[in-house]
Amino acid sequence: MKNFFFTILIFNSILFSQEKNHLTNDSLFSPYNIKRFADFLYCQKDYLRAADEYVRYLGLIPNDTIEFKIALSYSLMNNYDEAAKRFNSIKESSSFYQPAQIQFLKSLFQSGNYVQFRNKYSHGTPLNDSNDCGGVASLYMFSFLLTDEPLPNEDEFLMKFPALEKIQMKSFYDWKKNPPEKSSIIAAIFSTIIPGMGKIYTHDYSDGIFAFISTLGAGYLAYDNFKAGHNFRGWIFTGLTAGFYGGNIYGSAAAAQIYNAHIRFDFINDLETYLEDNNYFLKIFNFCK
Amino acid sequence: MKNNQFIFTIILSFALFISFNSFAQTDWVKWGKADFSYQIKNPVEQRNYSFDLSNPERLVLKSLANAYWFFISDVDGDNCAFNPTCSNFFIQSVEKTNIVQGFLMFFDRFTRDMDIFGKLNHYPRVPDGHFYDPPSLYLLDIHFINYIPPSVIVKNE
Amino acid sequence: MYNYFQFILILLTVVSSKLFSQDILENQYNYALKLYIREQYYDAVTEFKRLSLFDTEKKYEYNANEYIGMSYKMGAKFSDAILFFTKAEMNARNNEELFNSIIEIVRINILRRTISHAYDLLDSLKKDERFTIKSAEIDYWKGWADIFNDNWFEAAKEFSKVDSTKFLAEFCYNVEKEKYSVSFADILSHIIPGAGQIYTGNYFSGILSLGWNTLWGYLTISAFLDNRVFDGLVIGNLLWLRFYNGNLQNSVKYAEKENLDITNRALDFLQSGYSGKKP
Repeated sequence: MKNFFFTILIFNSILFSQEKNHLTNDSLFSPYNIKRFADFLYCQKDYLRAADEYVRYLGLIPNDTIEFKIALSYSLMNNYDEAAKRFNSIKESSSFYQPAQIQFLKSLFQSGNYVQFRNKYSHGTPLNDSNDCGGVASLYMFSFLLTDEPLPNEDEFLMKFPALEKIQMKSFYDWKKNPPEKSSIIAAIFSTIIPGMGKIYTHDYSDGIFAFISTLGAGYLAYDNFKAGHNFRGWIFTGLTAGFYGGNIYGSAAAAQIYNAHIRFDFINDLETYLEDNNYFLKIFNFCK
Repeated sequence: MKNNQFIFTIILSFALFISFNSFAQTDWVKWGKADFSYQIKNPVEQRNYSFDLSNPERLVLKSLANAYWFFISDVDGDNCAFNPTCSNFFIQSVEKTNIVQGFLMFFDRFTRDMDIFGKLNHYPRVPDGHFYDPPSLYLLDIHFINYIPPSVIVKNE
Repeated sequence: MYNYFQFILILLTVVSSKLFSQDILENQYNYALKLYIREQYYDAVTEFKRLSLFDTEKKYEYNANEYIGMSYKMGAKFSDAILFFTKAEMNARNNEELFNSIIEIVRINILRRTISHAYDLLDSLKKDERFTIKSAEIDYWKGWADIFNDNWFEAAKEFSKVDSTKFLAEFCYNVEKEKYSVSFADILSHIIPGAGQIYTGNYFSGILSLGWNTLWGYLTISAFLDNRVFDGLVIGNLLWLRFYNGNLQNSVKYAEKENLDITNRALDFLQSGYSGKKP
């Protein structure tokens, strides 16, 4: 009898020990194995495959964490529209509801829907995740730097940021309020008075010098040819002088607009770099520890 | 020898580990079989000698441009540092605006072409090394200005 | 008797569990391979990666990595392909597998035109005593590397080392013969403006170049002869020199363009018309 039970015990131990290799009758497509493969892909940053595997898992076993990870996968692939949709679809009853709502707002922000982001923040679900509530408030204020809507009051703006970030935020705020732009009209007037001066005003120094040289050079050649009685050549050079002069005025006005576009581009770049470095003021989810 | 092979394997494994994490981005979009050709692409841009029959003014302008390109510009070599070339820039400027504004844009472009010092830190480049300077930047309309920094190589114009 | 029965039972259980798990992996391997054969490369990569994760004994490691590499290659994702062929190389179980994985890396380097890497790998294979018997195959891929490096003469030399590739050798010699000499076109144009263009079959461009250079040259010289030095300098520098330099640029440009067309026609034939092994 003892031997019989001993045999059964060994038989069962060997049978169940196969669980450690996870190669059971359910095969590689058992829920456990699907999740294991999905986690492996996620940690390898193969997010699209991971998302597909997580979706496959969800079809078998509903799971809050998996729903959140699918949405996070799309966010990490910079597919913010899909991420926003999925974060917003996580139910209120889920333990990940609050983090999902925060990530939903972040996705709206990252996809450039700043107005929608502000609307949802102001009129959407109240947030009580104490870790990230302040972060979303900071993001809300930060969004004003990226749109053309009127800025809030400086104190109200700075209040939403941590003490260590206030100096940087103030410099962003000051730039946004009074950008160091150049005026096209002033540039054109400068170039009317002295050819090339408008380009120097917009920091295109060598362009300004060549505009000056070409206009004056053509003008001198016109004068010289008229003086020598070569009227035909004189008129050709007069036409060239008029062209260079008019072109220099036009070009200076255009240069001011390009200068403004340049500094705005650099400003947006700085803002985006700052956000990336600070993870949009929100905590990072690391499921791969 | 065996120690060297072991060390090499460790280094290679580490490099592969780093590479796996950085290369996974290829598969963020589903892909299929690629239509890959052995042929080498001609880096030299081909001229567009077509005629614009939409109106007589454009027909005359394009005919003059084609004649200039064929008899003069294609013979005197590659002298313009920009893309599009100055003559192309002129054609496109007139097409987008009018003859007067087109001339002003052209003269401004010609002056900037003469500037041998200021191009490097001002304009982005196209793959063949020319500086990218489209007429859309000079229409005096901020909505058409798509600023590209000088460090960028512009591939699809 | 009972102990004997126990022993048999235990043995059967252990053996069958092992056989069962290998059956699952084999099924997975076959499934992934079927996806590869059906050209569903993205999905094939997924399934081979799944196999790789669960194959704790690494029985399929080489093959899985090889097919992942092949899938990426078919999708023209060459950097990823090289990564997985390198992994296959590290898991090669014998010299044959090791050689095959290195040759796959060579082929991909040829395709993406990182020819120096291909040459380095082929040189190291050539020096490796384990692959002395593979010398003919190494020469074959060296020939292909030369083709993609646009070095048809060297390619012909490599292919002529083996009888079975005589056709390729002759083909490469013919391509080399058909090509124009860029330096010769350049020298011709230095001597007679437009001659380089005419040599490469661009007659109209050559005649135009000759005409412009003759005109500006005549005007420059006659200006100097008439003591109109300033006029002579302006015409000489701004016009004659410009068109002369243009003539030199064009002679090289047209020669290179004609050679590129010849190369592309040959490459097109090799890709679509040649039935032998290709990169």
